[in-house]
Amino acid sequence: MSAAWTVLKEQINHFYLVRRLSAYEMKSANSGNYLGILWEIINPMIQIAIFWFVFGFGIFNREKVDGHDFLPWLMAGIVVWFFVNPATTQASKSIYSRLAMVSKMSFPMSVIPTYVIVAKLYQHFMLLGVIIVLLATTGYFPTVYIIQLPYYILAVLILLVSFGLITSTLATIIRDVQNMVTSLMRILFYLTPILWVLDAKDHPLIVQIMKLNPLYYIVEGYRASLLGESWYFIENWEYTMYFWLVVIVFFLIGSSLHVKFRDRFVDFK
Amino acid sequence: MEKSVVVKNVTKKYKLYKKNSDKLLDLLLPKEYGEEYFALRNVSFEAEKGDVIGFVGINGSGKSTLSNIIAGIVPPTEGTVQVEGKSALIAVSSGLNNKLTGRDNIELKMLMLGFDKKQIQELEPEIIEFSELGKFIDQPVKSYSSGMKSRLGFSISVHIDPDVLIIDEALSVGDKNFAEKCLDKMNEFKAKGKTMFFVSHSLGQMKKFCQKALWLEYGELKAYGTIEEVMPQYEQFLKDYKAMSKKEQKKFREDKMKQRSQATV
Repeated sequence: MSAAWTVLKEQINHFYLVRRLSAYEMKSANSGNYLGILWEIINPMIQIAIFWFVFGFGIFNREKVDGHDFLPWLMAGIVVWFFVNPATTQASKSIYSRLAMVSKMSFPMSVIPTYVIVAKLYQHFMLLGVIIVLLATTGYFPTVYIIQLPYYILAVLILLVSFGLITSTLATIIRDVQNMVTSLMRILFYLTPILWVLDAKDHPLIVQIMKLNPLYYIVEGYRASLLGESWYFIENWEYTMYFWLVVIVFFLIGSSLHVKFRDRFVDFK
Repeated sequence: MEKSVVVKNVTKKYKLYKKNSDKLLDLLLPKEYGEEYFALRNVSFEAEKGDVIGFVGINGSGKSTLSNIIAGIVPPTEGTVQVEGKSALIAVSSGLNNKLTGRDNIELKMLMLGFDKKQIQELEPEIIEFSELGKFIDQPVKSYSSGMKSRLGFSISVHIDPDVLIIDEALSVGDKNFAEKCLDKMNEFKAKGKTMFFVSHSLGQMKKFCQKALWLEYGELKAYGTIEEVMPQYEQFLKDYKAMSKKEQKKFREDKMKQRSQATV
């Protein structure tokens, strides 16, 4: 419990540090190529196009999903995946790949995964803007439901930071964890309703199990806001409670692991 | 005299593993696996304010480990280190980000050291001026020569106004002009009564600059005292060592190595 408090205080007290370091993180990630940060838009667009062609045009044969055309339905859900996936894999290698830069033991190391994730958040905002415009061109203009979007952005950010604390610590001690995280993300991509969704009426049990994955909540929440469907987090308040319970458990585990091992991080260089 | 750095019974152990599986077992099981290796064993000394101390010893004797421990980068396995005030380490590879420009690196490094926005803005022009990088300051660090990198690293480290400065082989790069400028700066620090540690293989430089010397031999403290006391002993040792035949040298090294490691299984 006290570990969680230490980490929480570090996150709050070093807000300026997180902001500056994440700005540099973004700068150094895109410094080598000519189109720079534009690639953060181009890559997702290419992927959306190919997924639409294979799944929407091909496999689902232009059928509607949950009462929406496939393309807008896909875009509204996958947009958050383009944040979750790189943020998680980068966060898990964040500490061990930066040990050489941390030249003081007194450096608040728990902010390292946070600033790496926040750097990805800026890119997420850009992509989100593009997606909102694209949705409008397919007929989905922003509705009043869009005001719940900041809530989901905050929720996914806190979820990623909590999970990042666990994986970054474990990956520093055992590098194989990094490979495990990459595999896990690949699995989750198909087990989260991004490309397809199971009907709860046909398979109630399987859908319940799939909902244990907190990303299910996030993706459905994004869809509800962007496609203007419902107040998802209020209508499914039990699910909201479950989501935050998972976040708290992740944070408690992550911070106690982090505080336990952080003095020895440099020895794992 | 006031104490500036107190190092007490510092030991640094590393674990050597024969196999990767040993490493994993050691992490997961309470039983110990692998071989322990002493990078430093039971080192104690005290430094007073204004001391300039040179670390001597042949390769692999633990000089860099000791510098890192004093600078607070690496935690000791056992023992304590007390440092009065801030410490800064200057090493050739001083953690610069290759993809960012020199200017970005200055801010990044200072943020990492806990400076706030205002302090960084104040110090930045001075650091750039001192580093003599000119228009290269806005180029990515990967385009720098090794001399340029160490100049930037040195400029940052001296401008954060440390109370204890540790210089690890950093002055061996860079031209004579800059080395002199650094020596001037260090003399300035000396006059201000700051404590400095100096790691170098150049005995001449050391004799000119340091008052005290600390001789490490295979992780253990061999001698500590004024430069006049320690240097002749060390030079004698180097001469004897050189005079040994290849076989004797090898045996000497292996004996010491054996003392330094101990198997736990």
